[in-house]
Amino acid sequence: MRRTGFLFDRRFLLHETGPYHPETPERLDAIYKGIEEGGLFDKLTVIQACRADDAWIESVHDKKYIDRFRDTCVAGRKVLDYPDNQMCGDTYDIAYLAVGGILKTIDKVMDGTLDNAFCAVRPPGHHAEIDTAMGFCYFNNVAIAARYLQQQWQIGRVGIVDFDVHHGNGTQHIFEKDASVFYYSIHQHPSFAYPGTGREFETGSGKGHGFTKNSPALPGHSDSDYQSLIEADLLPAFENFVPEMILLSTGFDAHEDDDMSDINLSTEWYSWMMEKMIELADKYSNGRLISVLEGGYCLERLPELARNHVTILLQD
Amino acid sequence: MFVSRSMSRKVVTIYKDATVVEAREKLDKHHIRHLPVVEKDDILIGIVTDRDVRSAMPSVHLQSGHLNGDGNVLADIKVKDFMTIAPAVVTLSDTIQDALLLLQEKRVGALPVVDKQGRVKGILSVRDLMRTFIQVLGIGEPGTLVGVVVEEKVGQLKKVVDAITEEEISFGSVLVAKHWDKNKRAVFAYLLTLNISAVKRKLAKLGYELIDPMDWAIEQPSNSD
Repeated sequence: MRRTGFLFDRRFLLHETGPYHPETPERLDAIYKGIEEGGLFDKLTVIQACRADDAWIESVHDKKYIDRFRDTCVAGRKVLDYPDNQMCGDTYDIAYLAVGGILKTIDKVMDGTLDNAFCAVRPPGHHAEIDTAMGFCYFNNVAIAARYLQQQWQIGRVGIVDFDVHHGNGTQHIFEKDASVFYYSIHQHPSFAYPGTGREFETGSGKGHGFTKNSPALPGHSDSDYQSLIEADLLPAFENFVPEMILLSTGFDAHEDDDMSDINLSTEWYSWMMEKMIELADKYSNGRLISVLEGGYCLERLPELARNHVTILLQD
Repeated sequence: MFVSRSMSRKVVTIYKDATVVEAREKLDKHHIRHLPVVEKDDILIGIVTDRDVRSAMPSVHLQSGHLNGDGNVLADIKVKDFMTIAPAVVTLSDTIQDALLLLQEKRVGALPVVDKQGRVKGILSVRDLMRTFIQVLGIGEPGTLVGVVVEEKVGQLKKVVDAITEEEISFGSVLVAKHWDKNKRAVFAYLLTLNISAVKRKLAKLGYELIDPMDWAIEQPSNSD
């Protein structure tokens, strides 16, 4: 059995998005329930979140944006930048906690205390741009994690695999000129799904040209299409890039029962994908793998998806 | 949707007595494909394209010899010898729709924009139109496409727009297309949100058929032609 961390903190539930919003605290309840029902808590190392240092948030985001986020939150306003980004008075602090918790988890994986981890955080991060909140995201958790790995732990090449059903525009833009971070994303085709980026021809620019790879999938596509794309696009890309550490932007919203998309993946596909990711981690990063939650909104399916996710992280 | 909003205001022009070499240098230097030909006061008299220039010049493989040796050969070829006289133009108050149809009709790649006196004020190229259409479609902004089938009856689109507006969702664009069922229309709304499930459920509840975009990937029997 591997030593697997589970970042979970009840305070993540304090980020309220108001009525009729899919990115709810209940998502984390569902994830927690699934892991609990699987009897997995005895096997996991539960990690409590802590506030991130400003410096790490600023390693990705503009200071002016961070201040604007704080001021908006303190003033009691409910929206930042786009109506999608509904928030409450706690949102700013919770976003700091999510990042801090992930960085703490990285420390435990990098110092050898843990092999891998699943960070069940809210708010999610991959749509957040350097200076703009987008698509329910405020701080780009995974982007900050990548910078932290490089600057705090001297990791040279970081590979990010984003399998949320939406393209991680923020993560792509943050690293598109950077050859030390490879961003791979598989998602519903941007002509049909938010945010409208992540086309095949977006491959990075300048020194980062060739270090971004997008696999858009048309509506209605399912397990075999996704599997072929992972095998044809991701595996050879990492073969060339040789990441020293792998971060996952994990979204469960491509599931057939999740109505945020028209992609029809089965629960089994998600298990296949995680087994593949473990293989990649064993091959390139000494088994070290950190999965960070992005989307996934089907409360009926989240328990089993999270349970399988963690079960596979634990397996030898 | 007027030409004046979408055109490029910085126009590189040329005189009719300039040589083909000068024309080529201007095209290369500014990375453009069209040079309006003007006389005094920027009055438009013609246009030359990169294709005109290339046809007027010898092959690049011969070019250096000509230029370095007897430059006079090329110096004798003037813009007025190969320009298109009285080209298709649009005016500042013409619309993008005018320009689009004219470009198609004339099979050209750019239209000089002139004022009432015939002075060049701008140029509208296919590239400018592409930028305009990205704006019109709204796809420069983050959003999600939703397709709905409506009855071919007055007031149907309003109902759909109202239902979406009630959810406080902004529109990037709305396109209405022919449906293969003669009595129906397909409405494609580009909504500036990630929060799409609630509005989809609402539309379904109101009895609208949501379009599976993949139904449109294969050609459907046309009812028009």
